[in-house]
Amino acid sequence: MRQIFVRAIGGVALAALVLGGAAACKQDEGGTEGGSASKVCDLKIGFFGALSGGDAGLVTPGKQAADLAVKQYNAEHADCKVSIQAYDSQGKPELAGGLATSAVGDAKVVGIVGPAFSGESETANPIFQQAGLPVITQSATRPSLADNGWAIFHRGVGNDFSQGPAAAAYIKSINAAKVFVVDDQSAYGAGLADEVKKALGATVVASDKATDNQQDFSAIVTKVTSSGATALFYGGYTEEASPFLKQLRAGGYKGTFVGGDGIYDANMLSVTGNADVEGAVATCPCAPATTAKGTFVQDFKAEFNAEPGVYADVAYDLTKIYLEAIGEGKSSRADIQAFLKSYNKAGSATGVTYKWDDKGELDPAQVRVWSYIAKNGAWAPDKEIPKA
Amino acid sequence: MNELINGFPVLTVTGLTQGAIYALVALGYTLVYGVLRLINFAHSDVFMIGTFGAIWTWSAFGFDANSPRPSVGGALGLIALAIVVAAILCGIFAMLVEVTAYRPLRARNAPPLAFLITAIGASFVLSEGMAAFTNRRQFGVPAMLPTDPLFSIGSWQVTPLQLTTIAVAILMMVALDWFVQRTKFGRGIRAVAQDANTAALMGVNKNRVILLVFLIGGLMAGVAAVLSDMKAASTRFNVGFLIGLKAFAAAVLGGIGNLRGAALGGILLGLAENYGSAVFGTNFRDFIGFLVLILLLMFRPTGLLGESLGRARA
Amino acid sequence: MLLEVDNITLLYGRIQALHGITVHVNEGEIVALIGANGAGKTTTMRAVSGVRAIASGRIRFNGVDITRMRADLRVIQGICQSPEGRGVFPGMTVRENLEMGAYTRKDTGNIAKDMDHVLDLFPRLRERFKQAGGTLSGGEQQMLAVGRALMSRPKLLLLDEPSMGLAPMLIQQIFEIITEINQRDGTTILLVEQNAQQALSRAHRAYVLETGSIVKEGTGQELLHDPAVKDAYLGVA
Ligand SMILES: Nc1ncnc2c1ncn2[C@@H]1O[C@H](COP(=O)(O)OP(=O)(O)OP(=O)(O)O)[C@@H](O)[C@H]1O
Ligand SMILES: [Mg+2]
Repeated sequence: MRQIFVRAIGGVALAALVLGGAAACKQDEGGTEGGSASKVCDLKIGFFGALSGGDAGLVTPGKQAADLAVKQYNAEHADCKVSIQAYDSQGKPELAGGLATSAVGDAKVVGIVGPAFSGESETANPIFQQAGLPVITQSATRPSLADNGWAIFHRGVGNDFSQGPAAAAYIKSINAAKVFVVDDQSAYGAGLADEVKKALGATVVASDKATDNQQDFSAIVTKVTSSGATALFYGGYTEEASPFLKQLRAGGYKGTFVGGDGIYDANMLSVTGNADVEGAVATCPCAPATTAKGTFVQDFKAEFNAEPGVYADVAYDLTKIYLEAIGEGKSSRADIQAFLKSYNKAGSATGVTYKWDDKGELDPAQVRVWSYIAKNGAWAPDKEIPKA
Repeated sequence: MNELINGFPVLTVTGLTQGAIYALVALGYTLVYGVLRLINFAHSDVFMIGTFGAIWTWSAFGFDANSPRPSVGGALGLIALAIVVAAILCGIFAMLVEVTAYRPLRARNAPPLAFLITAIGASFVLSEGMAAFTNRRQFGVPAMLPTDPLFSIGSWQVTPLQLTTIAVAILMMVALDWFVQRTKFGRGIRAVAQDANTAALMGVNKNRVILLVFLIGGLMAGVAAVLSDMKAASTRFNVGFLIGLKAFAAAVLGGIGNLRGAALGGILLGLAENYGSAVFGTNFRDFIGFLVLILLLMFRPTGLLGESLGRARA
Repeated sequence: MLLEVDNITLLYGRIQALHGITVHVNEGEIVALIGANGAGKTTTMRAVSGVRAIASGRIRFNGVDITRMRADLRVIQGICQSPEGRGVFPGMTVRENLEMGAYTRKDTGNIAKDMDHVLDLFPRLRERFKQAGGTLSGGEQQMLAVGRALMSRPKLLLLDEPSMGLAPMLIQQIFEIITEINQRDGTTILLVEQNAQQALSRAHRAYVLETGSIVKEGTGQELLHDPAVKDAYLGVA
């Protein structure tokens, strides 16, 4: 019942935000009128995803990287700058619609990096599609996102069709005879878990489903321990994965805990605690950002005094694609959409060749999935999982 | 079904543990309803504040999610301290809710709907306030008690945490029952619940009794918050919502306004959820909890033990 | 004067129930208020005990102005009302109900003695000592309400229709107890009654209320023999 109120009040708050934002934008425009006639300046790239809340750890490094890319661009184009407009969805589909509408309503926003998660993409992308505002997601991996006929949709990473079998290949590589699969019933989590189940076949002895915001996992823990499974795959995000893993350990489960990129963030480590998270495995269709090519890692460290986190390199390259378009004088959403459709270049940080097919997917040959293992309170890159 | 049979001992013990937590939270709903005929929606968020109170207490002693487990004696001391801090914190916030959200309305004889709206409003102020204060982050709970079973009888095993949770919950409920049934203040509470006007004619200060009731509900929620922290292993600003809903359901299940009913309702709900999850899958957990509630209310509209602090016996 | 009610008015929303009532009660007296249904007797009692705020006028008790005092604090001053319709706490035992009467008392040592005294006055209550108030008969509840009011050792006892719903034999008994409380314990009593015959014959003084105003006052005996009162309230032609 309260969630209805949450939405209602959230809506009011959003309306206020949108109005406030719109007012601010008007001022911006007023200040820049009379600039160069041919070049449109002060364009914005939207960054859409969970910048606060339990899942922010997956998204904030990308936001930092996007800021970095823009900062570098502006240093060279001081006369005609670009800015990042943040849309903090908290990863919640119910907030995504309002934010998408406000992004669409801001004519200066010509492209979106994000939405970061699959669930929010399902709410936001139809709105972007209607407005012809192109999006490139750095981390929404649910395969069906590409099946909606959204011309504006581009995925800068591999989807769960690549991540799922890779996660399954990883589980096979550790010789787990009995595997338990749990998902959080989200677009992302359920999609990924289904792929893992398909690829593992009969070694999956049982499966169960968690719910959003679940706190008490005692029933699932009981099932897991009595199933005798030696590996568990969790399709979902840190918010539930962390307490679930801790309760599994408290309940006596000694096997391996494997998750997708939804748990590949710093919160999974700090909230769960070193003792319980040690040995947990996350797969990710992302090469370690710290092994990124070019000067990205140095630049990122110099700027933020920290190692680049998950998807930072991807978000950096995607932001740079937009900047490249803007630098070439593309200033309308339609121009930038056309630019993306014919794009075919390797990213400077990831080395991945960004060339999208009709559905907005990358060439599967470009997709590489890595495994990461929690060791001493950090995600240590393990290996690139070989394609099955 | 196999899962229910194989896992029955564990499901029962963990269900009782969760049920004990529901029961403690349910007491706050039922007490306030008993004297004010009001559903205090902000109670779930008072509980949420308690979950942070415990974490802050532990972090003041240098314990976070990465800390090694303290000795058993140290853990019991830290738990006791967290319980005291969280209970006091929750008690204070519960009283603040009463004084700022409800008392001014009572003074103006506001209609029941106005109370409902301020109740929801107070709930938001607390949860969104905490959201802003903590940046919506999730916080891990430091490891306290050892996780190995303390003792086992056949396939029935009880861990230190489960024993602590159930023992503390029983202790709190017995103490509350004694307080309400046997002390003068308790008699004052029951008097206001049964007939507020006559209670005033006996010299009972209604506002003071109401404040006391919020304080007690807050104390119980604070204790529950510490126990829940240790069980769930993490907290964030929105943890109150679901547990509050369950505890409220437990209160209705037992007969809203009835203290022993709230305890019984909490435990039954905890067990029903666990058994139901084992048979139908955990995604049906909440569904089953509320199905039990609806079915029971169809046959016993006033809940298992009937309504009110003694009123139903009239 | 123990109680002075000076020209009070009282409103229920827009309905004015009292139009300037002036009543006084001296220490040691039994004073009766009589009048038809809806005259404002209960309302006057509520104004004195403080469960309803008055719109204008003053109330003094024992030399203290209590006009704006909360009801529960007036109990501490020594005013105790046995409300109309009894107001027994249904979920409490007879014992607990009686203890509620002594809620504000600090002299806890004497409470047991007073409870014994009340149980001597109402032996029926002693038999039902552990029974829930809500399961007592109407008459038993009436006794409990009066007994409970006595437990506060009031200086002024307000009794609103103590004989309501009682069998004739019990009515006689309850009035005897009222007289006994007054004579033996020296408790001052303000009494509202439909049973005007009994009330006037027991009261030292009495007031007659009509639609929120006092229309007559005098000693009990005077009013008992007043033709107009006889006509209207004593049911003798
Ligand atoms: N709570 C109330 N709200 C509105 N009007 C009220 C309320 N209580 C009493 N009244 C009105 O005030 C007037 C006086 O009522 P009151 O109860 O004082 O009468 P009474 O003399 O005690 O009558 P009875 O002998 O029937 O008990 C009546 O007209 C009654 O309808
Ligand atoms: Mg009356």
